[in-house]
Order: sequence, then C-alpha cells, then structure tokens
Amino acid sequence: MTLKADWEIVGSPVDPDSDERLFFADHEWDTIEAATARIIPTDHDPGAREARVVVFLDRYLSGIDYIFAAADGSGFLKLTGKFADAWRARMSDMQRTYREGIRTLDSLAQEQFDRQFVALSESEQDTVLEALSGSVKPGPVTLGTSEAVQTFLQGVFDQGLPFFEALCLHTRQGFYCDPVYGGNRNRVDWDVIGFPGPTTLKDTMDGTYNTTEFFHVGGYDWNELVPHLGKVG
Amino acid sequence: MRHAKKPGPVDAIVVGLGATGATAAKVLSEAGLKVVGFDRGPWLSAKDHYSGDELKFVNRNYLWPDPNLFPRTLRHDEVSEAERFPFSPTPQLVGGGTNHWAGWVPRPRESDFLQRSLHGDLDGASLADWPIRYEHLEPYLTKVEWEFGISGIAGADKYEPFRSKGYPSAPLRPTKFGKRFYDACNTMGVNGFPIPHAMVTHDHKGRDPFNTTSFWNQYGDPSTARSNTLTTFIPEAVATGNFELRSESFVREVTVGKDGRATGVVYVDPDGVEVVQEAKVVVLGLGAIESARLMLMSTSPQFPDGLGNSSGMVGKNATFHEYVFAVGLFDQEIDDPLHGWAGNYISGGTFEFYETDEDRGHIGGCLISASQTCHPINWVFPGRPSWGQALKDADRSYFNFAMKIGAILHDMPVESNRVDLDPTVKDAWGLPVARITHKPHVNDVAMSKWQVDKNAEILQVAGASKTVPVYLDRMTGNTCHQHGTARMGTDPTTTVLNEWCQSHDVENLFIVDGSCFPSSTGVNPTLTMMANAWRVSEYITDVWSKGRDEHITVA
Repeated sequence: MTLKADWEIVGSPVDPDSDERLFFADHEWDTIEAATARIIPTDHDPGAREARVVVFLDRYLSGIDYIFAAADGSGFLKLTGKFADAWRARMSDMQRTYREGIRTLDSLAQEQFDRQFVALSESEQDTVLEALSGSVKPGPVTLGTSEAVQTFLQGVFDQGLPFFEALCLHTRQGFYCDPVYGGNRNRVDWDVIGFPGPTTLKDTMDGTYNTTEFFHVGGYDWNELVPHLGKVG
Repeated sequence: MRHAKKPGPVDAIVVGLGATGATAAKVLSEAGLKVVGFDRGPWLSAKDHYSGDELKFVNRNYLWPDPNLFPRTLRHDEVSEAERFPFSPTPQLVGGGTNHWAGWVPRPRESDFLQRSLHGDLDGASLADWPIRYEHLEPYLTKVEWEFGISGIAGADKYEPFRSKGYPSAPLRPTKFGKRFYDACNTMGVNGFPIPHAMVTHDHKGRDPFNTTSFWNQYGDPSTARSNTLTTFIPEAVATGNFELRSESFVREVTVGKDGRATGVVYVDPDGVEVVQEAKVVVLGLGAIESARLMLMSTSPQFPDGLGNSSGMVGKNATFHEYVFAVGLFDQEIDDPLHGWAGNYISGGTFEFYETDEDRGHIGGCLISASQTCHPINWVFPGRPSWGQALKDADRSYFNFAMKIGAILHDMPVESNRVDLDPTVKDAWGLPVARITHKPHVNDVAMSKWQVDKNAEILQVAGASKTVPVYLDRMTGNTCHQHGTARMGTDPTTTVLNEWCQSHDVENLFIVDGSCFPSSTGVNPTLTMMANAWRVSEYITDVWSKGRDEHITVA
C-alpha cells in the first residue's frame, strides 16, 4: 500500500473561472452561489460570488480528489488506504448534507415567498437564511463591550456540521483559502482584509515569501522592552 | 514494506516518535543500543510536505488525527455515555506535536515539583510532590535547549530558577502585538520577556532557518527554523546506524513473558499484517492518552487490568492544560495595524502571575503570553458574526487590529479525571479508543477566570477597545498537552512509575512522555518532558542496562 508519506501529486490547481460542474446540478450550483453571496456579500469589495466560492465548494464536494493540495500547490494529493476510505465516507455524508440543505432552502423559500431561493431578492434570501439558521441575522460588532465565551479546539473541522453551519464555514474557507482550491480568485479576498498572502504555496517553502516587514518596525532594544535585563547587568 | 513474520530481537523498542520518543531514540541509539522505533503516523519530509496552506493544516486535519480513523470519546461525568470528540488531537506522525507546535518552551519552576508540600490537601484534588526536584532536571533542560535548539534571552525572566547555561539562539525581533504587550507590561510593572521558543534564528547545528512566512502555529515548517524532532533528533538517531524507524505501524500491545517482564510489542504494519518485535526494554512515548490506552489494552494473566497497572492508577489523574485567553480588538480609527497574523505565534510573556497568591482565592497560577491571532480563515475572534455584512465588516475592520493574550491553565490533578477504554467505540483497527472522563476542579475554573481577566486587563492597558474573554467551562484538550496518567512516585500502591519513569511492576518498561507528571505544572510541558525523557534514557543506558539500579532521595 502507498504510505501517506508517499502520496502522489495528481491533477492541477482548480481553475476558478471554470463553469464545469463536478458535483452540483445546475440549479444546485445557482442556489449555492446565491446563498454564499449572502454569507459574504459583495459591496465595494468582492464577495463570495466574485471569489468563486461555488467552484471551491463544487470541487470539494465532488469526492476525494480536492482534499489536500500538494505542498507546492502544483496539484492535489492522491489519498490511499484507510485515509481514502475515511474521506470517501465523510464526503458522502457532506454531499447528502448539501443536497438536502439546498432542498430545505427551496422549501423555506416556497413557504415564505412562493418562489425558489434563487428567484428571491437579497433581503428575502436573508429572511430564508434566518429561518434556516434559527436566529436573526448577525448585527455589527460593537466596540466598548466585552462578551465572554468558553474555550474551543483550534481549527474548525466540518465533519458532522448541519447545513447552515457547514455553508458558513465553507464560504469562509472558499473566500480566504489558497487559490489552488478554486476560491479566493486572484487572491483578491486577502486584499479585502489586508492580508499580504503568498503568490504561490511554493513561495512559502523556499524562503521567497517573507513577512518580517510586518513585525515591529524600526529599532528596538531588549533592555528597554525588558527593563529587568538592565538590572541583572 | 513487509517484514519477516518475526524480525530479530533488538535492545530497545521505542513506541511513539514525537517529542519524547524521538529523544529516547536519539539518546539510546547514540549510546550504542540497537533500537527500533514505531510510529502509527507517517514519516513525512518537512521540506517536501510542508507549506503555508491554511485549509490543509488548520481545517482539514492533514497533521491532526483523522477523527474517523483515530476517534476519541469524551464525557464530563461518571454516568453519561461518552460522545465522540477529537479531544487533545496531538498529531500522530514522526515528530508528533513538534511538527505543528508553536513551540513555547519555558522552564518549569521549583514549586512545580512540590505542590503537595506547598499546599497540603486540596479538597477534591490529589496533589502530589514529584519524586524528583528541579535540580535533577536542570542539566537535561540545558541539554535539550542546546541540542534541540531553543531561542531566548537568559536572565530576562525575573522569576526563572537557576540555569547552568544561556540559550543557543537569540529571539526573533518582536512583533507589533509583542511590542504592545511589552509596553503594557512596563506600564503595569510586570516583567514581560521573550518566551523561549523552540526555533533557532541562526545556523545553530547547521540548520537553515529561512522560514519567515508567519505560517507557524499548526503548520509544518519546511525549513529547519522550528525545532521538530522530525528534522533534528530523528535524523541524528538514524545517523548512528543503530536506529530503525517503522512508520505507519501501529503498536497494539506490549507483550509480557511468564516472568512478568516485557518481551516486546505486537504491531500492525502498513499492509495490515501483525508482526511481533522482541526487545530487552520497551520505552513508551505515545503521549499520556495513548500510552495509557496501550497499557490498558495490553492485558495478560499477570496483568488482567492492563500492563503495569497493579495499582489501578493507569489513566487516572489526567491533566490537560486548557488554553484560556482574551482577545482584544483595536479601533482602526485611532490605532496602527497590529498585524496579528505575523510572527511565529508567540512573542512576549510573563511569569508574574505564576506563583500562588492566597488573595486570589485559589492556588497556583499560569504562564501567560501574547500570541498570534493567526490567518484569514481561522483568525481568532470568538463570537465573530457568522454571516452577512457584519461578518465581512468584522473581518475587514479587525483582522489586522486584534491581538490576544492567553494562559496555559495549571489544572489540578483529580483521580476521577481519567483515560480508560471506551466500552463501545473502536478505531479503524477495531481496537477500543481512549475515553476521557473529565470535570474541571473548582480551582481550575477560578484560576481560569482570574487569569483571563488579567489577560483582558493587560489588553486594555495596551489600548484594546473591546475584549473577548475565553473562560474554562469544560476541557476540550485544545493545547494538546497531556499528563498524569502513569504518575511517578515512590509508592507502588499509589503510583505507576518510579522516579526513573520505570514501571513499578515491569522492570523493563519505561514511559518517557508526560504520563509520569504527578501534577500538570503551569508551563508548556514539552521542554520538561523532553528533558525528563533524556534523563530516563540516560538511566537506561548508564545504569539499567548494566544490571544496576539507583534511587533518588528527596527531602
């Protein structure tokens, strides 16, 4: 059996401009494109639609060919053995979550507005998403307040998430991921928030990509930052 | 890769090749022992397999255990059925947690070895002194700092106990959020200092630390900046010619002979074939959860309750160090960007709030540190709006205007907080998985509240316009720190290991990971664990393998 350490690199980076559908039917594609555009909307900056989050999601949901990019971004790793089996089972569940979720979006849209989700206005779509999520649309962050939460694991994994939570997480992932996965088209979404990300994954492997200019700028003296150092002489 | 049904016996087997197992493999093989090392995970190539791919490393478990293959279960009381939860998901691969770690490597304090002497009985807890003291570990802390490669400034930590030597490498330049932390500390009269970091910043031991990407915490490092046993101690062990590494090979049992001594292990090779490997000594370094699990799975007529478990204490008194913290958001109208994603995760920290202060109403304390808020998909803003314009605005306004300060919770040992075998859930090899039963001690909750509030106070002094405190409610294992499941001590009826981390029951079985910790300490444990693994390995080569034994007497 091919060891995980020896997984082959196959395929090539996802083309964000592709209209080819590997998983979604046309109506599903249009529905997800519209829904993700409400999760991260377009304003004076690009949103999920321009990021091609729908392409990212279509490839991810298509099976196990787009799970892990090769380290240098030249293609994708070909999973083997128990890892392949585990991912196949997981993606089968996630495919079902999406297929059923899209039907739920349409049935909520039919109930409330007598039309399919894609045919609704943006504010009507928001109303449907509120119904789907079971709570009101989040309001803006306010400064001057403090809101406590409880601890959590690092890195959110999507296994077992309900449709709405998965959709929010995946939209975020498709918006900000390395473009090899099909989203974050031309890295413009990193520009939206001011993240000067690498041009390619390969640049993060060989010293090409350097971020030290974003560390503290200018001179510094450890004896001033840590006055105790001066005291010990 | 198919071995003969029964490869020839060797001097030593090391199971688990992370921080501590790799240390043992290096020390044992350099001393001339013939060693076979096992890891259930892959033997990756850092320079070929690691890069700054957030989705792959932080969201899709490329390094973290796949929860379907390696499940764990968790419950918060004695009566509930445990649910599947990826508790304390330390990466399982050659190098273990040193592949993905941020690499905080502070030294423990003298008080960490004396919790029982200092505090007596704490209701509901099982405080214990260590059977060794700081002075027994100090030479090995120095060895690890120099051989593994640690950056820091000796003398900067006002509260550090005696050290015999400085650091081999200087710290990175401060980050912007680190500078804020130092400034706030100086305003408050707090001793901020650069947290010792498991990385080198120059060519120590021929390493090329070219990685300046800021893809650090949770990512593999393609350069040799990060101190990772995959790129340091493992190749050093291989270079001796005495060490053979069998990766993607899952040890399912430690076997014992009629005389009650360990004879070797049974493992499942990558093709699913069961193989027996014999050795004179078996060393476990799987981490406190998996080492306990392997001992509990290794039942025999001599040890019906699990290997080395005549005390019944294997798996008990588990401690996990939840990471509790506060995030501060800064107002972009009045502040300069903090670029919280930049830097190699940690920057300044302090031991100012580490020792017990009775006025706080609880015992113990924590190391705290300012650290990265990380990358775009997962940047740390708990309570961030989940969708819509508010989400987009929050990312746009605060991604570069946030910082966090957090504490490693010094959680108390409680006997009923434990690891055992889940009665129903099996892993992909059909074996029972580790079940965690954990309820925080009241001292843990009180300490978490006090420390996080102090984190928030420092953030406010640093200029934060909003703080989000993240308190302990229930353990998630979010630090991947694991300790206590095979405590060391002098009494074989209440502890599992002696002061050399040698099983009281099985004299050729040693455990070199955090299982041996009688108490969790309030520092990141890896430096202490590796120093201890070195100390124990040296005992194996210099004393045990010569047919002698020695004992340490502490006051």
